[in-house]
Amino acid sequence: MIGHILKLIWNKKGSNSLMILEIFLAFLVLFFVLAYVLYNLDKTSAPLGFATVDRWEVQLDNLDALDSIELKTTIENLESNLLALEEVEEVSFANSISPFSGSMWTTGNDENGFEFSAMVVPADYGLANTLDLNIVEGRFFTEEDYDATYKPIIMTKHFMEKYYPNKSMIDSTFLLQGTRKIVGVVEAYRYRGAFEELYPTIMLLEPKVDNNSAVLLKMKPGTPTSFEEKLSNVVNTTTKRTGNVINNLEKERISEDRESWMIFIALLSICGFLCVNVALGLFGVLWYNINKRKAEIGLRQALGANGLDISKQFILEVILLTLVALIIGVFFAVQVPLLQLTEFPNVMFYKAILYSIVIILSLVFICALFPSIQAAKITPANSLHED
Amino acid sequence: MIKLNNITKVYRTKTIETTALNDIDLHVPKGEFLSIMGPSGCGKSTLLNIIGLLDEPSGGTIRVDGQEVIKYASKATAKFRNEKLGFIFQSFHLIPDLNVIDNVELPLLYRNVSRKDRKEMAAIALESVGLANRKSHFPSQLSGGQKQRVAIARAIVGNPAIILADEPTGNLDSVMGDEVMEILTKLNKEEGTTIVMVTHDERMAKKTDRLIRLYDGSQVA
Repeated sequence: MIGHILKLIWNKKGSNSLMILEIFLAFLVLFFVLAYVLYNLDKTSAPLGFATVDRWEVQLDNLDALDSIELKTTIENLESNLLALEEVEEVSFANSISPFSGSMWTTGNDENGFEFSAMVVPADYGLANTLDLNIVEGRFFTEEDYDATYKPIIMTKHFMEKYYPNKSMIDSTFLLQGTRKIVGVVEAYRYRGAFEELYPTIMLLEPKVDNNSAVLLKMKPGTPTSFEEKLSNVVNTTTKRTGNVINNLEKERISEDRESWMIFIALLSICGFLCVNVALGLFGVLWYNINKRKAEIGLRQALGANGLDISKQFILEVILLTLVALIIGVFFAVQVPLLQLTEFPNVMFYKAILYSIVIILSLVFICALFPSIQAAKITPANSLHED
Repeated sequence: MIKLNNITKVYRTKTIETTALNDIDLHVPKGEFLSIMGPSGCGKSTLLNIIGLLDEPSGGTIRVDGQEVIKYASKATAKFRNEKLGFIFQSFHLIPDLNVIDNVELPLLYRNVSRKDRKEMAAIALESVGLANRKSHFPSQLSGGQKQRVAIARAIVGNPAIILADEPTGNLDSVMGDEVMEILTKLNKEEGTTIVMVTHDERMAKKTDRLIRLYDGSQVA
């Protein structure tokens, strides 16, 4: 029967080519959207590397304008005044590269015997405790590190896996603006959000006075939002400025994620709309074909086809047509990972191909089912007479 | 072989009831070539459709080889049509997208016959109607007479015991009509196939073993 249907399809290749083209294009769009969505969703499975619940951030109002002595005094006062509050457990100062700020600093050189590229996070020694960074090897910065012979440096696990796979580099030196010593490895620090690219990251120890753009706070669990007023008064009084802004890192994280989700939802909606259009088109074409081929249906029944044979024939015709379109589609889609056209991992493309095939085949099957069942109900005497 | 008792067929709409067949009793012995004549709308084709199980009668019974065939389930009806009956239609009903040999092998698709055997059987059937050299042609490339011969080949490819022909010469000129009748007569005489033919053509009807006439759904002769 399959050979017979393939022959029918081939002999009607002119009229079938448009349907093949429609399914082929739907497959390609679905493939690219799914690859993009899967890739981004996969990123969310990697840990963020820091805590956001009960973590607040105060963006400081232009402390850079102060002279160095005044700045040092203000920072010291601010730290002690904040720690004096019962609700504040830990404090860490940050520059503009703070969680969800959108800022980034990348660096790289080839002085280590290999070329590397990494994002840089200037941090003070309080960051690990403030944001509960997960130290997977070695230790975090300490106050004593400011006076160490070699400036300390901390890498993320991803950095180590990429540039020093299966090696422990603790206490090894690393060349970046002079000789530094690797003191620890943190699990991750994806400060730009869950949808951020997984990028090798390093942390450099900076004096608190240089990290004067923001202050990160670990709050006592359950600290109410109303505490913001008191916190604001303390910060404003200490810095003698009123433009300081308080953010809740958990809310920032949710807001950041929502923006990414909106893009996916928009893309998937467009894709879904396209699929519905293709489905309606297919449904219409099938309905039209079946009405046009009533005499053929009657003839086949007269020659010995039962209802199931008729339904099977129409479903198989559409499924085989779809398979032709999918084979062409997969040929083009598979070029993307094979030719390494993007930096996405290949597995995402293969998954997207598989899911697209399943979605298109299911859609086509559902669209073919009802008209095919109706075709089986056509009575031979009437359909033969109609012709 | 075919025995019809009190066959009636009534078409009902909300307002009108039309009797297409009225108490038809008919016995067609094995190997007979029977023709049915009558004016348009007298119920000839309806009767043929009912014999071929393409339509259901409103009342009465049909026995083929002693078996009550109306009570068959749809799957058994399809099997019966496939194995016992061959159909020939006035408008040929060839599938335009299939070539001649693929059209002829159609009934065998619904049996467990291998592709090779299907091709062989279809080639033999085509040879018997003198179209062995037209296997790869498409219906659009054939004359009316050739199309009807392809339809005959399709009807006989599965060696059915009964052939039901609905005005097989109706769309053909007299020469082609005679050719078709010659094939059917030969089939009846040499193979012993029972043939029931509906026709408008008195000349063709006279070539058959027996003629019955219908008028307004009733048998009048």
